[in-house]
Amino acid sequence: MINIIGHRKLWLFIASALVAASIVATALWGLKFGIDFTGGSLLELSFENGRPATSELASDLASFGAEEISIQPVGANGVILRFKTVTETKHQEILAHLEEKFSGAAEQRFESIGPTIGQELRTKAIYAIIIVLICIIIYIAWAFRKVSKPVESWKYGVIAVVVLLHDIGVPIGLFAVLGRFAGVEVNSAFVAAILTILGYSVNDTIVVFDRVRENILRSGGDYENFDKIVNESVNQTFARSINTTLTTLLALVAVFFWGGESVKYFALALIVGIGLGAYSSIFIASPLLVVWGKMSIQKRRR
Amino acid sequence: MQKIKNFLVKLGRAIFKAPRAKIWWLIILILAITMLAGFLDYPKYYDQGVNWLKKTTGINLPQFYKLPFRLGLDLQGGTHLVYEADTSAIPEKDKDDALNGVRDVIERRVNAFGVAEPVVQTTKAGGEWRVIVELAGVKDVAQAIKMIGETPFLEFKEQNTAVQQQELTAEQQKEMKDFNAAVKKKANEALKKARVAGADFAALAEEYSEDEATKSVGGDLGFLTKEGIYADFYTQAAKLKVGQTSGLIETDTEINIIKVVDTQDAKEVKANHLLICWSGAQGCTSDLSKEDAKKKIDELKAQATKDNFIQLVKDNSTEPGAASSGGDLGWFGKGMMVKPFEDAAFAIKVGEISDVVETQFGYHLLYKTDERAVKEYRVSRILFKKKTKGDILPPVEQWAYTGLTGKQLTKAQVQFDPNTNAPEVGLEFNDEGKKLFAEITERNVGKPLAIFLDGRAIVDTDGDGVISAEEVYAPRIQEPIKDGEAVISGNLDIKEAKLIVQRLNAGALPVPIKLISQETVGAALGQESVAKSLFAGMMGFLAVALFMILYYRLPGLLSALALVFYAAIVLAVFKMIPVTLTLAGIAGFVLSVGMAVDANVLIFERMKEELKLGKPLGSAVDEGFKRAWPSIRDGNLTTLISCLVLFWFSTSMIKGFALTLSIGVILSMLSALFITRTLLNFIAPWFHKGMWLFGVRKKN
Repeated sequence: MINIIGHRKLWLFIASALVAASIVATALWGLKFGIDFTGGSLLELSFENGRPATSELASDLASFGAEEISIQPVGANGVILRFKTVTETKHQEILAHLEEKFSGAAEQRFESIGPTIGQELRTKAIYAIIIVLICIIIYIAWAFRKVSKPVESWKYGVIAVVVLLHDIGVPIGLFAVLGRFAGVEVNSAFVAAILTILGYSVNDTIVVFDRVRENILRSGGDYENFDKIVNESVNQTFARSINTTLTTLLALVAVFFWGGESVKYFALALIVGIGLGAYSSIFIASPLLVVWGKMSIQKRRR
Repeated sequence: MQKIKNFLVKLGRAIFKAPRAKIWWLIILILAITMLAGFLDYPKYYDQGVNWLKKTTGINLPQFYKLPFRLGLDLQGGTHLVYEADTSAIPEKDKDDALNGVRDVIERRVNAFGVAEPVVQTTKAGGEWRVIVELAGVKDVAQAIKMIGETPFLEFKEQNTAVQQQELTAEQQKEMKDFNAAVKKKANEALKKARVAGADFAALAEEYSEDEATKSVGGDLGFLTKEGIYADFYTQAAKLKVGQTSGLIETDTEINIIKVVDTQDAKEVKANHLLICWSGAQGCTSDLSKEDAKKKIDELKAQATKDNFIQLVKDNSTEPGAASSGGDLGWFGKGMMVKPFEDAAFAIKVGEISDVVETQFGYHLLYKTDERAVKEYRVSRILFKKKTKGDILPPVEQWAYTGLTGKQLTKAQVQFDPNTNAPEVGLEFNDEGKKLFAEITERNVGKPLAIFLDGRAIVDTDGDGVISAEEVYAPRIQEPIKDGEAVISGNLDIKEAKLIVQRLNAGALPVPIKLISQETVGAALGQESVAKSLFAGMMGFLAVALFMILYYRLPGLLSALALVFYAAIVLAVFKMIPVTLTLAGIAGFVLSVGMAVDANVLIFERMKEELKLGKPLGSAVDEGFKRAWPSIRDGNLTTLISCLVLFWFSTSMIKGFALTLSIGVILSMLSALFITRTLLNFIAPWFHKGMWLFGVRKKN
């Protein structure tokens, strides 16, 4: 049996450090929002006869009055240009110019999202996250509705939510870092990933807690050894937590490596969030339960 | 007799009453469902099997039902456009109608663009009206955007009475003569070059030919048949040997030089056909539904014989003129009829009647009356175009501009004749329109007044659902109208009247639309994405299956097998619903593959615990399922909650993800409960020993 609860201070320290780092990164650099949230245009081009220099493309675009240009090479001879929303006429002018100047240049993708739509999607994304969180809190309240001793049922719920915040906080922090150093954007796909993480990761935590309650009942209320019971429960569900997560991660890793550019970071967010979900149910949720549980047991004794 | 009965009873008991009969039946059921699903996913393999069977044994089975995957814009290429409609000039109560008018006008334009399954819908977002247009597989997006964005243009036109020039002036005749003489000179020049030994005919075609379609391929017209559109060339070619070049072949409109490149033996058939078309088939005027048409043709097929076929055609065929022609198609060769029709005609013997053939025109029966061997000639040509009278005279305009347009129309509305209660369309013009309309009606009493929207008839006049360039909608003017209030009456049903009103208003009070969002994906990028995501899916699947086998051994193998069944069924469900697959949607499916085995992991872990306690395999399986079920249910429930919210939140890309993931999650629960469990129960009796296979060390 692995002694996880014994080292609880270490695990909690690591988790706190990760969350703190994520908060700092997000506060410091912010998230780099994609055009579906900010509005803007995205033009993906392929150049049959080799990609022109970035500076050349930038000055070409600027000569058409495009603003806030960013240029990102993709694949062997492609490039993604981002700039402020332009009209369709302007888009056609730019395209005609580039196709004429660079033979073999062809448009692969064009997205242009007006500021109102961006605003709308942003609001919707925030609502969506709040709604899912509320649904999950209701669900947890329901799952732990039967009061159990020595820890009150609502405390299980609070811990589960805290753990969830960790599970989505760290990917957000990671994307703040990626946005700063690799230009990775946060778009509606990222929000979808966050919501999926919320739905998926809460289960690991619930399964561990279920075991704890089952084992407490079996032990006939042996509160003295609360930490031992929790440790035993974690060990019993260990293989299950790791394996369910591992299979899901395997599928996601395939999407990350081979699924193509547009779902790559979507898969990454899911990998990080779901991976952390398993980790946090074992190394954060259970230690927190022991810490809080011991506190309430002592209080009751006094 | 008694013996046989006894045997059957015994056999029946063995099959249905045996202790494990239920499991056997379940296994057969699962295999059958999976096979059906698999064939639906990839009918190609089934069809290959059918073809092989036909070749080797002569048994002819029908091909499998074909249902394509529905691909989203990001996978097949296309564009998603969002327009904002400026309704500030429209009174509140008319806004709904005005928006319907906008949608309708855009639909008309998009339909003219020839896109498969275009989507045009209106939504209201935060007090703003929007129009969403989705065009899958559209080639020229820029052109589409331009067409959609134009303000609807409504015009009223009168018959063109201006005297048309009918004959050429002396000057024009000279012009034509000179031009044609020059053409002939040039043709002779080319002919001279072509007759030089070793001349390169293809190069000459490229240099001289005015046939844009063939000049780049050396003037090659392919193999010509006697009845084809180049019958003249066929007659000429028959007189030449392979490699020979003709002289000048001149008609009123063109001069040709041809060369016979090759010849081959081919077959031509003579046949009569019987057509039963359904409402909606190309060129069909019947109002039969497709099902009824099929029923009818099946009945006719049952009756049809060699002797009564022609009579059946005359009595029943929906082909115009069939009553007198008897459906006679004359002689035809390959490449002249639509493919399924041609296949059937060439497959049957002379004197036989074919099975029912479905084409875009309807259902056909064919009666083959004769067959003959013919020569076909492969011919290249150089074309020189002559000028004719029609080229020089200006084109005849049937409808003349009146100056009356949507600008002068105040409004249109549906009203009812006070006497007959029949629906009518009422028009109201403004002061300028009133004056114009009075003038127009005065000089055109008894004549039609044509109404055009965007240069085409305002409604479909021949009931084929498409407004072609030749159609005209033109009510007749009965009397001069001075007060600017006109009524279109007669033979309108309420639906048609409403449509006309809607379109008149769209032209009278145009709602300006502004493009506020565009997502366009090129077809090449889409194809690349399909290939990539298929590969990713395959790799994800293999990785998960491999992991399960290595970790859980025999049960792992079973779960990998269950995963194959699962994938086949999910893909079939995607086709049947149908789910629009996007890149994110495929990612959702791959993710669901990873999640689908979660249930198995839960069950196997519980099972292992039970086995370690020394329980026999059978009851360990049952116990494992019973105890794991609440966790499986709860786990999937929270994922489904997230998907539900996502579905509401989303853009079309995310919707695809939420949908495929939800379907995957629901089916994976069924798969774990039903498929994996049945498989485990199925093998349980053979593995009393060998706990190693279940990943459990033997208890001493």
